Amino acid sequence: MHVIIFSWEYPPRIVGQLANYVKKLAEQLVKNNVKVHVVTYHDFSTGEFDEPNSVKTYRVTNPVRTHIGVLTWVLTLNQEVERAAANIYYKANKHVNLIDVHDWHFIPAAVTLKKALNIPFVYSVESLEEHRSHGANSPFNMAIKSIEWLGMYEAERLVVKSEWMRDEVSRLYRVPQEKMRVISPTSTNWVESILEIYKSAAKPSGAAEWLKN
Amino acid sequence: MAKELTVLMLTWEFPPRIIGGISPHVYYLSKNLAKNGVKVYVVTCDFPGAPTHEKIDGVEVLRIDSYKNPAPDFATWVYLMNVNMQKEAAALVNSLGGKVDIFHAHDWLVANAGIGLKHVFRKPLIATMHSTEIGRRNGIHSDYERMIHETEAWLTYEAWRVICCSNYMVSHVQWAFGLPQDKLAMIPNGVEAEVYEKFGKEELSQFRSKFALPEEKIVLFVGRLVYEKGAHVFVNAIPKVLEKTNAKFIVVGDGYMKEQLSNLVRGMGLAHKVLFTGFVDDETLRKLQKCADVSVVPSLFEPFGIVALEAMAAQSPVVVSDAGGLSEIVEHDVTGIKVYVNNPDSLAWGITRALLNKEYAETLKANAYKKVREFYNWNSIAQKTRTLYEAVLSEYSKSFWA
Repeated sequence: MHVIIFSWEYPPRIVGQLANYVKKLAEQLVKNNVKVHVVTYHDFSTGEFDEPNSVKTYRVTNPVRTHIGVLTWVLTLNQEVERAAANIYYKANKHVNLIDVHDWHFIPAAVTLKKALNIPFVYSVESLEEHRSHGANSPFNMAIKSIEWLGMYEAERLVVKSEWMRDEVSRLYRVPQEKMRVISPTSTNWVESILEIYKSAAKPSGAAEWLKN
Repeated sequence: MAKELTVLMLTWEFPPRIIGGISPHVYYLSKNLAKNGVKVYVVTCDFPGAPTHEKIDGVEVLRIDSYKNPAPDFATWVYLMNVNMQKEAAALVNSLGGKVDIFHAHDWLVANAGIGLKHVFRKPLIATMHSTEIGRRNGIHSDYERMIHETEAWLTYEAWRVICCSNYMVSHVQWAFGLPQDKLAMIPNGVEAEVYEKFGKEELSQFRSKFALPEEKIVLFVGRLVYEKGAHVFVNAIPKVLEKTNAKFIVVGDGYMKEQLSNLVRGMGLAHKVLFTGFVDDETLRKLQKCADVSVVPSLFEPFGIVALEAMAAQSPVVVSDAGGLSEIVEHDVTGIKVYVNNPDSLAWGITRALLNKEYAETLKANAYKKVREFYNWNSIAQKTRTLYEAVLSEYSKSFWA
């Protein structure tokens, strides 16, 4: 299985707890024979890298340097994320089975890649705009919420990290509970559970898929 | 080339959604490309009452939900709209089995969608730059403007070729974004002269009487009421024209300067001589252009100046400021009158000259009409565009993406 992970933070760029979580996840997946590319942002250290532990990273920066807010910054960065993912996809002879997108930032890229190249995605929810902004409903917050909604609507499956989050996603976005799976990062069968989700959501890479194309 | 060529156009406006010049441009270009054997898909923003899918004059149109996401400001709206545009366009291309040869994006308003589609499908992107932020604002003065400027630069960087509608815009775009010369192509804008030929004399004179008294000449301004279109120069020229001759001044278009301009007219005590019609439909606009004794285009910045071309096709004498694309369209004393930029005295001189010399005005009209039929017809513009597509595809076929 070949998975591309989208995350707006990845070591050495650490903003919150997501960076180290995604690093741990990528390394564990590699140990379980998953081919992993992480597409992430770095202001200047861009390009493809072979990280320790056989994780491959592809860092992109924003082609538009001046911005009026995080929203315009994220939305232009998404095109570079798409470019990186497309480069990985074509280099792998189109054998990419799944995208795992962490939080809302790169949802637009994941949606385009799904619509264009039939690569399904899993949306791993770390946090929600509702909680980050304490329920603020300005157009700015609503725009971010609408991107979160788009991700939940288009994703094959959602991974949430607690039962509380599952209920919040269900309450705020009306996502059916059976579309979500609670996987605690501290649980003993954490990687196995993630792999199960990946397998249920991934595009099969067998002969059947080739015949269809 | 015998092979069928398929192009996907991206534009934020397409009839019936009309905000500026991009909408008619993409409409006529697409329609005439279709006539020249190109399969054209247009992906554009939605409009109340317009269908999501339709086929107009051989062109497949897909309108996307462009107000799905709430947005704090215009630029953010543009980027959010691009998320949906790209999503829908990607699904469309996928449904065609990826069989689109070229993505053609019109202005920064669809930059993100165009660039994203180029990379996911690995097909060449062509950009038409209808205008620039640095030109519209006469410089870059804020982060907001710089962001748009850099988005434009990014689009021209990602594009295989950049089309501009005038030689002036070619050199302006080359300067603004530091592009190599061989990346730029000049293909003029066009006008369909036939649309002005279906009105009867009786119909027009009846129409005219709704706007002006028989003894009043009609002086027409058509454009968005924004700074760079110079409507304020037009209004300031009005008293000077009225000193010489009797006329009615009609201002067609909307924009943030509307209230300011109508206050100015009221302050001059000329409210009975100036009519602000707001935005009008195509039919009314064309009749007005047919009825105008002179059409005025006083822009301070003008990438092309389609309004001047329309007036020439409608056989109305034109007075234009000697700016940007207008300088190239109009030859002074041959196909129209050129006046100094941002100069109400000079503009009043030009308007008066056209109104008071009947024979001179007739000569200008005849020359202008001939020029429009010969140089600015959409069929030859579409052929030039097709030739450009084929040149790009031949270069593309030698690249590792092919």
